[in-house]
Amino acid sequence: MNQAQLLQSVVASLPEIVVIIGACILLIVGLFVPPGRRHLLGWAAIAVILLAAALTFAIGGENDGAYSSMFVTDQFSRFFKGIFYIATALTLLMSRRFIEIERINIGEYHALLLFALSGMMIMASATDLLSIYVGLELMALCTYVLTGFMRRERRSNEAALKYVVLGAVATGVFLYGVSLIYGLTGTTELSAIAAAATGQARDPGILLAVAFIVAGLVFKIGAVPFHMWVPDIYEGAPTPITAFMSVGPKAAGFAVILRVFLNPLVAVSEVGLVVAVIAVVTIALGSFVALVQDNIKRLLAYSSIAHSGFALLGIVAGGPDGIASVMLYLLIYTFMNIGIFAAIVVMRSERVQGEAIEDFSGLARSHRALGLLMLLFLFALAGIPPTAGFFAKFYILVALIDQGMVAIPVIAVLLSVVAAYFYIRIVMVIYMREPVAGTAPAFTPDLTLVLAIAAAGTILIGLFPQWFLDLAQSSILQR
Amino acid sequence: MDFPWLSIIIFLPAAGALVLLFLRDDLAIRRVALGVTFADFLLCFPLLLGFDASTHEMQFTETHTWIPGLGIRYALGVDGISVLFVFLAALLGWICVLASWRAIETMVKEFMVSLLAMQTLMLGVFSALDLFLFYVFWEAMLVPMYAIIGIWGGSRRVYAAFKFFLYTLAGSVLFLVGIIVLYFQGGKTFDILALMQADLPFALQSWLFFAFLVAFAVKVPMVPVHTWLPDAHVEAPTAGSIILAGVLLKMGAYGFLRFSLPILPEASVYYSTFMLLLSAVAIVYGGFLALAQDDLKKLVAYSSISHMGFVTLGIFALNGQGLGGGILQMFNHGVTTGALFLFVGLIYERTHTRSIADYGGLMKAAPIYTVFLGLFTLSSMALPGLNSFVGELLILSGAFAARPVIAAISILGALLAAAYLLSMFRRVALGAAEVGERFRIWDLTRREVAAALPLAILVIWIGLYPKPFLTIIGASAEHLLEQVHGVEGTE
Repeated sequence: MNQAQLLQSVVASLPEIVVIIGACILLIVGLFVPPGRRHLLGWAAIAVILLAAALTFAIGGENDGAYSSMFVTDQFSRFFKGIFYIATALTLLMSRRFIEIERINIGEYHALLLFALSGMMIMASATDLLSIYVGLELMALCTYVLTGFMRRERRSNEAALKYVVLGAVATGVFLYGVSLIYGLTGTTELSAIAAAATGQARDPGILLAVAFIVAGLVFKIGAVPFHMWVPDIYEGAPTPITAFMSVGPKAAGFAVILRVFLNPLVAVSEVGLVVAVIAVVTIALGSFVALVQDNIKRLLAYSSIAHSGFALLGIVAGGPDGIASVMLYLLIYTFMNIGIFAAIVVMRSERVQGEAIEDFSGLARSHRALGLLMLLFLFALAGIPPTAGFFAKFYILVALIDQGMVAIPVIAVLLSVVAAYFYIRIVMVIYMREPVAGTAPAFTPDLTLVLAIAAAGTILIGLFPQWFLDLAQSSILQR
Repeated sequence: MDFPWLSIIIFLPAAGALVLLFLRDDLAIRRVALGVTFADFLLCFPLLLGFDASTHEMQFTETHTWIPGLGIRYALGVDGISVLFVFLAALLGWICVLASWRAIETMVKEFMVSLLAMQTLMLGVFSALDLFLFYVFWEAMLVPMYAIIGIWGGSRRVYAAFKFFLYTLAGSVLFLVGIIVLYFQGGKTFDILALMQADLPFALQSWLFFAFLVAFAVKVPMVPVHTWLPDAHVEAPTAGSIILAGVLLKMGAYGFLRFSLPILPEASVYYSTFMLLLSAVAIVYGGFLALAQDDLKKLVAYSSISHMGFVTLGIFALNGQGLGGGILQMFNHGVTTGALFLFVGLIYERTHTRSIADYGGLMKAAPIYTVFLGLFTLSSMALPGLNSFVGELLILSGAFAARPVIAAISILGALLAAAYLLSMFRRVALGAAEVGERFRIWDLTRREVAAALPLAILVIWIGLYPKPFLTIIGASAEHLLEQVHGVEGTE
C-alpha cells in the first residue's frame, strides 16, 4: 500500500477513527472527572457521535478500495451507520439516570459504548471476512463487559458470563467457517470468494463453510436455533444496554448477513430455503414463548427474537425490495424498541425496579403521558397502522409476495396475531388495572428527549414513509 | 381541486381529539367533543345536498400521492353507497357523545379522545379509494375500540376486548395478504377503481374471495365467526355498543360491496349460493339465540347477527332488489340497532340491571322512554310503515328471485324477530310488575330526547317515504350489478 492509498483509506475510515480516538480520550479523562460530573462524559460521547455522523455524511462518495479492499464506504454502510449513531446516542441519553441509580456511573461505561459503536461501524463497512471478524469481536467484547456492568447484581454477572461463553463459541464457529473458506478458495475477500466459487460445480466444503459462517451470524441476531442466550442476557443486562443490544448489534449482524448473503457465493449454495425455515421458526418461537413472560425485559427479548425472524423474511425475499425492506425494518425497529426500553428506564427508581409487568398496572391513570407513549410503542411493535411498525411489516410482505411467495406471508401474519396478544396484554395492564402504589416514574430531560425522538420516529415514518423508503432503496448494495 | 369536504369531515374529529389532550376540565372535554362531532355532522349536509344521485361515479374525490414508491395514494371519494354511511357515522358520532355524557365518569378525556379517533377512522374507511389507505383506517380502528371496550366496559371487559381485538386482527391480516397479492396481480396499484377493471383469473379470484371473506365475515359478523360480538356488545359501554352495531358491523358488508363484488365478480357469482346459505344460517341461528336471552344487551346483540344475515342475504342475491334492499337495510340496521343499544344503555344507567326479569311495567314509570323504545322495537321487527320493513321486503323479494328455498328459510328469521322483540317489549314495558317501585326511574331528559329524536325521525321517514334514500343508492347499486354480471355475460 503506497502513501496515497493509505491516505485515501484513512479518509474513508475517518468516522471510525474519530469514534475510537474519542473513546480513548474518554477512557483517560474519565479517571479524573469527579463522580458528580460524570454525566458530562455522556454528553462528550454524544458529541463524538455527532462529529462522526457529520463526517460520515459529509465525506460521502463511494470508496471500495480502502485498506486493500477490506473496507468500503458506500451508501449501504452509511445507512447502517446512521442506525448505529441513532441507537448509541439514544442509549447514552437514556443511561444517565439509570446508571446513577445503579451506581455504575463510571467513565468506562461511555467509552465502552463508543468502542462497541466503532465495532459495529467496521462491520457495516467490512468487505473481507477478516475485517468483519475484527468489527464483530470489537463490538462483542464491549457488549460482554457492558452486560456485566452491574457488578453487585447476580443476574447481571450471570448474564455476562453466559454471554461470553456462548458468544465465544459462536465466534469460534464463525472463524472456523472463515478458515475453511480460506483453505478452499485462498482468499477471505468477499468478492474474490464469489468469483472463485461461482465458476465451479457446487463444492460440499464451501457449503459447510457457509453453514458455519451463517451460524455465527445468526447467533448475533438471536434467531433460532441460536436464540437461547437472548432472554437471559436481555434480562440481566442494565436496561439501557439491553435497549442498545436489541437494536445496534442486531442491526450490525444484519448488515453483515446482507453483505455475505447477497454474495453470489450464498446464492449458489441455496441457503434460501434454510433461511426461510429459520425465519418462520424464529417468529413462531419468539411470539409463543413471549406469551407467558412476566418480566417485561424477558418479554421484549422474545419479542426481539420474533422481530429478527420477521426481518429475516426480507432476506428470504431477496431482490432490491427484499434488501431495502430489511433495512427499513431495522431503522423503524430502532425507534420503536428504543422507545419502549426508554419507558422501562423511566420506571426505574431508587425503590422500584419496574421490570415486572405488574409494576405497570394502572400507569395510564397515574402517569398519563407515559401510558400513552407505551401504548404507541406497543402498538407499533405489534404492527398496527398508522404507526411505522405497520409499514415495516407491510414492506416485507410486499417484497415476499413480489417474489411469488404467499404461504410464508400468510404464516407470518398469523403469527403476528399471536404476537399482538402479548403486546396488548401490556396495554391492558397499563390501561385496565388499578394503579399500584409505590411506582415513581421520573421524566428527566434526557429521557424525555429520548422518548420524544423515538415517538416522533415511530409516528412520522408511519405517516410519511416515502422519504425513508427512498433512502432504503437507494442504499441497497449494487451487485 | 375542489373544496376538500371529505378530508375535513374525516379529520375534524381527529383535530378535536388533539385539542382535548390539552383540556383538563371534564365538562369542557364533553362539550368540545359534542361540538366537534355535531359540527362534523353538519358538514355532512353540504355533502348530501351536493351529491349527484344520477351517476355512479365517485364524487367529492381527492387524490394526492402519498407513497409513490409503492403506488399508494391518498385518494378519497364517495358514491351512492358510501355517502350514506358517512352520514350514518357522523350522525351516530354525536349521539355517542350524548349517550356517554353521564355514563362515563372515569378517564373522560381518554374516552372522548378514543371516540373522536374512532370517528375519524370510520369516516375514513367509508371514503377511502385506495386499498392501502382503506386498510390503514380499517386496522387502526382496533386500537380505540379495544380501549373503549377494555377500559370503560363491564365486569368481563378485558376478556371481551381481547376477543374483539384478536378475532378482528386475525381476520384482517389475511385480508392484508390478499390486498398485496391483488396489488401485484392487478398491475401494481392500490387504486380501488383501477382494480375493479382488472380481469383476474378465476382461481385467483377464489383465493382472494376467501381471504377477503375472513376479514369481512368477522366484522359483519357471519356465523361461525360471530362469537366475539355478544361478548363485545355486552361488555362495551353504551357508546361502544352503538358504534359497534351502528357502524362497525356495516364495514364488513361494505367490504363485500366495495371489494368482493366489483373486483372479484366471477368468484362472487360462483360462491353466492354458499354466501346465501351462510346468511340464512345466521338469520335463523341468531334469531333462536336471541329468543333465549334474558340479558337485554345480549338479546339485541344476537338480533344484530340475525339482521345482518338479512343484509348479506340481500347482497348476495345479486339482483337489483336484493342489493338495493341490502344497502338500505345496512343503513336501517345502523339507525335502529344503534337506537336500541342507546335505550338499553339509558335504562341501565337508571337501574344498573340488564336482566329482562327485573323489569316490568316500565310504561308507567317512564312513558316517553317506553314510547321511543316501542317505536325502535317495532322498527327492528320490520313493522310495515317503519324503515326495516322496506329493506327486508326488498331483500326477501330479491332473495326469492335468486334462491327461493333459502329465502323461505330466512322468513323464519322474521317471525323469530317478532317473537323475541315483542316478548322483550312486553316483559319490560307492560305487565303488572312495578319496576318503578324497586328502582329510582326518571323519564328521558332533554339531552336523551335530543339523542333519540333524529333516529326516530329517520325510522319513520324511511318507512313512509324511502325514495330519497333509494335514489341515492340507485345508480351505484345498478352499476355494481353491471360490474358483477357484465363479466359473467361476456363469457
